[in-house]
Amino acid sequence: MTDRPHDAAEAEDGATASPERAAGHVAELDGVTREYRSGGETIAALADVNFAVDPGEMVAVIGPSGSGKSTLLNVLGLLDVPTAGTVRLDGDDVTDYDDEARTMARRRTIGFVFQSFHLVPMLTAVENVLVPTMFVDGDQRPRARDLLERVGLGDRLDHRPDQLSGGQRQRVAIARALVNEPRLLLADEPTGNLDRDTGRNILDEFERISAEEEVGVVAVTHDELVTEFTDRTVELIDGVIQ
Amino acid sequence: MIDLLDLPALRMAWLNLRRNTLRTGLATLGIVIGVVAIAAIGITGTALQYGATQELGGLSNTVTVFPGEENADNVITDAQVDSIERVATGAVVAPQRSDTMEVASRSERRQVTVEAVSRPAALYDAAEGTIPSPMRSGVLLNADLADELGVELGQTVSVGGRSYRIIAILDEPGGFGQGVSVVIPLDDIDQNGYDQVTVVAEDGDAAQRLAEEIPAEVNQREEVVDTFTPADIQESVSGFFATLNAALLGVGSISLVVAGVSILNVMLMSVIERQAEIGVFRAVGIRRREVMRMVVAEATLLGVVGGIIGVVLSVLIGYAVNSLLNGQPMLVFQPRNLEFLALGFGFAVLASTLSGVYPAWKASTANPVEVLRG
Repeated sequence: MTDRPHDAAEAEDGATASPERAAGHVAELDGVTREYRSGGETIAALADVNFAVDPGEMVAVIGPSGSGKSTLLNVLGLLDVPTAGTVRLDGDDVTDYDDEARTMARRRTIGFVFQSFHLVPMLTAVENVLVPTMFVDGDQRPRARDLLERVGLGDRLDHRPDQLSGGQRQRVAIARALVNEPRLLLADEPTGNLDRDTGRNILDEFERISAEEEVGVVAVTHDELVTEFTDRTVELIDGVIQ
Repeated sequence: MIDLLDLPALRMAWLNLRRNTLRTGLATLGIVIGVVAIAAIGITGTALQYGATQELGGLSNTVTVFPGEENADNVITDAQVDSIERVATGAVVAPQRSDTMEVASRSERRQVTVEAVSRPAALYDAAEGTIPSPMRSGVLLNADLADELGVELGQTVSVGGRSYRIIAILDEPGGFGQGVSVVIPLDDIDQNGYDQVTVVAEDGDAAQRLAEEIPAEVNQREEVVDTFTPADIQESVSGFFATLNAALLGVGSISLVVAGVSILNVMLMSVIERQAEIGVFRAVGIRRREVMRMVVAEATLLGVVGGIIGVVLSVLIGYAVNSLLNGQPMLVFQPRNLEFLALGFGFAVLASTLSGVYPAWKASTANPVEVLRG
């Protein structure tokens, strides 16, 4: 995981080296570099990163601010495109997908949980959970209710975000991330805005989901607590996996 | 409320508009003003034109033939009347004489212009009694004059020293140049030729045609007759109102464009405020065009709501205007006004929808990455 090929040829080599493993990964970064230009200077937020998540696996990505954690999550979540390297989702090479294809891949395969929840204020809990399915045919309400019941909000279905506590909001966000039955759940500081006990509950939830639903979970965090719950912890410093 | 609007884009649009009711209300107000500017002004124009046309209405199919500038005797001769009759086939040709005479009842007397006509039934309407055709005896009195003289139908008045029985009271609104007080049989004014000839044509178009054909036929070398038809006035009145309406509609359209710009502004602000939320939408798999649909639906909804309010207000204004000007409030629903209402509504929806396109595009390009950082 930490061996770093130095150019594209080697990255390709790395990909072909383990085809049987690649097929099993939910998501895989292969020699991914992401550079930003800032004031005539090129900064590598990710440098030649190899990373993979398996179904049912829960991985914590830790590292100081500016180490490239968020960029890693964005690239995994098809929100950002690498400068070099290959991104695979469920074995498909999605590196060169256009915006439309990436959006549809997110809709199908990925769930997001954000640090500040990002619920829609005028929608009820159920409606917030339904947001990703808004333009998808078929009534997903029963599934949304079911998900909220499973995260312990069966009695808060029609509450709006301002009527819920921080922990409850994050549970709604988790239910929203799961409504499209994703294979990959990406969490950005999921406990960042929660107190310790609530954070623990949320992480229990992630653990349960990852085990029961065979979902690969990647949580980017500063929080040492998170690493207690994950199967594996990856440390990122200056865009390089340690 | 949510279940009523089942389409997701519309539903989100509706909820978003309800978030900031003051802002939504003000944006809608702009549209309402624009619609009223178009529809109510159009309807008022129609009402004014209707009123003016009604004033001319009874006369607009008549042609008055009178002696021309080069007519030495200043009369129209029998031969000329024959020529007029040849041209005006199918129309009623009524030669007239007029003179100023004293009209007197037992208590009152007045100096008035007296018309002498053989077939007054073609020219005037009776409020009381009936007008015989041809009229050989008796007198027709205008209702106002009958009042002043204190006489009624069936009584006797003296006209120019001769005594007449009143056989009808005239119902004449008294339009352009057609105020008539007293009508007696043609031969009771004794003179050669006639002062004027009134031709009653089938309609305004026929009157306008005759107004040109009669002089062409009668005036061989000299201009012995000239014509006048209120149809000309009516046409210029119509033209005037058409121009006026076009100008006012232009002003109305500008106000809708301004309303559209204010919607553009409001939507742009609201989209920028909601950038984070839209970013999350994009992250969880809502496509660009779906985001665009939501925002455009929001703008369109503003236009539809503002348009409906504007149409209702315009109908109320039109109702009041028609009832004040014409005494017929239901005239507001005549086809031409429905066109104005449709025009106002359509323009409102169009202007708002177009105003939503740029903010929608702006929203759809929101970068989800920015949101994840927050």
